[in-house]
Amino acid sequence: MSEPETGRYLYAVCRGLDPAVVREVTALYAAPLELVAHQDLAAVVSTVPMAVFGEEALRRNLEDMTWLEDVVRLHDDVVRAVAVRAPTAPMRLATVCFDDAAVRARLRAMYIDLSHVLDRVEGCSEWSVKVLAPPDELAEAQVAAAAPSSGADYLRRKQTEARRRATRDDSAADAAARIHDELARLSRASRRLPPQDPRLSGLRGTMVLNAAFLVPDADRASFATLLDQLRADGGEVVVDARGPWPPYSFAMLDAR
Amino acid sequence: MTPERTPARDLAPVALVDLLDRLLGTGVVVAGDVVVSLAGVDLVEIRLQLLISSVRARMEPSS
Repeated sequence: MSEPETGRYLYAVCRGLDPAVVREVTALYAAPLELVAHQDLAAVVSTVPMAVFGEEALRRNLEDMTWLEDVVRLHDDVVRAVAVRAPTAPMRLATVCFDDAAVRARLRAMYIDLSHVLDRVEGCSEWSVKVLAPPDELAEAQVAAAAPSSGADYLRRKQTEARRRATRDDSAADAAARIHDELARLSRASRRLPPQDPRLSGLRGTMVLNAAFLVPDADRASFATLLDQLRADGGEVVVDARGPWPPYSFAMLDAR
Repeated sequence: MTPERTPARDLAPVALVDLLDRLLGTGVVVAGDVVVSLAGVDLVEIRLQLLISSVRARMEPSS
């Protein structure tokens, strides 16, 4: 079977979205944004060329950082445009169906799971909280310190340094765990993501926590207050909090 | 071809690295009669390769 020339790109699935909202938004490749409805659900879609999004082409394009960044940003623009108006389950990047019938079949097949996801995220936003242990300045200073006077001196220094480092790592990990647990108690859901490389995050120090919290919009003020309190009690660690975001980390269908 | 953007209205902006973490690592994954889904691609590997090479490119002095 030959590949069709166009496909339907899925950005998100919403519940009870006013169709007028998508008319104001331009989709990938300047195509109109459209809805494919099934009962109270609507898939937010646009037509994309398979010469760009076909399996082979996609693999190639994913290696092109400029292309990837444009698509990721535009996907995000569409998701946030609908997420401010209706409960929204964002789709993973580059989910493309043959046609509207295939989109509708997916909505029908996943109806119960999608409804659960939408129940979970309704009235909530995602907050990103990263905890960073500051750069180890003492260790850096010791690298520059005078050479050991003997082999025994060297070993002694090495043991002291290892103990100091272990204590430091433990206390940062403890602080991260405490911050995570406290914030999770105020959240509807929470997730840990892999820590990011400082070259990618642009944040100084060692990331000891990269977490996402699904916070009811009604609880934003208490979440912010708790964050301030945790920052004050955090000791050496730095807390980087961002939001509100669309519920990207909380749209997974369970056990699939 | 470059996709054209529409400016966002509400919600706070998300950094690219955080978007990649989320859009490649999570989100609803559909399977079956979907033509293209990234579920079958080793995304973590692609993502890291991409990001690392992009960061390296940015750190190197432009010629």
